[in-house]
Amino acid sequence: MPVAAFSPEWAQAFKDEINRSPAYRDAAKGWKWSVGLVVEAEPDRNFPQGAGVIMDLLEGEARDIRVGTPAEAQACDFVITGTYTRWKEVATKQLDATRGMLQGKLKLKGDLPTVVRFTKASQEMTECTTRVPVTWPDEG
Amino acid sequence: MHHPGAGDLAGRGVSALVEYADGDDASAFAQMLGGLIEANVTSRAEKLRDFNRLRARVGVYVTDIGEGVTLEFDHGHLVVRNGLGAGRDVTIRADSDTVMQLSNVRIGFAGMPNYLDANGRQVMGRMFKGQLKIEGIFGNLTTLNQVTRLFSVAE
Repeated sequence: MPVAAFSPEWAQAFKDEINRSPAYRDAAKGWKWSVGLVVEAEPDRNFPQGAGVIMDLLEGEARDIRVGTPAEAQACDFVITGTYTRWKEVATKQLDATRGMLQGKLKLKGDLPTVVRFTKASQEMTECTTRVPVTWPDEG
Repeated sequence: MHHPGAGDLAGRGVSALVEYADGDDASAFAQMLGGLIEANVTSRAEKLRDFNRLRARVGVYVTDIGEGVTLEFDHGHLVVRNGLGAGRDVTIRADSDTVMQLSNVRIGFAGMPNYLDANGRQVMGRMFKGQLKIEGIFGNLTTLNQVTRLFSVAE
């Protein structure tokens, strides 16, 4: 059953998908930092207020994922920022997150060598988002 | 939570080690490569030694985003330029996934890139399939190995 994008239900479903993924568990061994996703507002896409996704990730496990404010997400060890449209493109497989960062469509803050070392984990995490059925605020 | 070292693609600055020829217009890819090399050489003595020794122009072109950069290494200083500039010694052409994989090549015995482990074999496989092309490899093998060591984030 689809859940509203960036809602608490979405965060729970995303967390469950991550914890169901053996590929993520394997690729994220050694990861011990928090990750914040900042979703910038786009009022013209019916997304009038920015959101933050705060992810507590440790050694291949998602210990907690919750939706909060952009400021809360910005306080994480690693922060990826993009507009609502960009995140929607990532979640619907129209934009590869790595490619998005190389193109500047998604902006990364955090230790770069660490991010590059865990590219596979980030790709698997993106795969997990794509498996969560979502209703988008700019669609009917 | 362990706090990683600072690194900020969104708020790039200019350091004594790395300079961006295009200033504020430096592409995200230029900032990423420059930032990666800077973080590596400032945290690892052996990479700093390579950086100080290296004098070469290296192009990196990411085929699936259609963007390239030129890295101008000059004995302890790097100028990162948007686009592929003239006079390159080595040019690496690959998709974004392969570029990331290249950065994960482990450095093995005598500082040689390890192409025998799982990641290294995948990189070689992509080369054989034409997904990774390296121009200027002959005659510049030492340069290529030095650059690979500077790119590598594998521990």
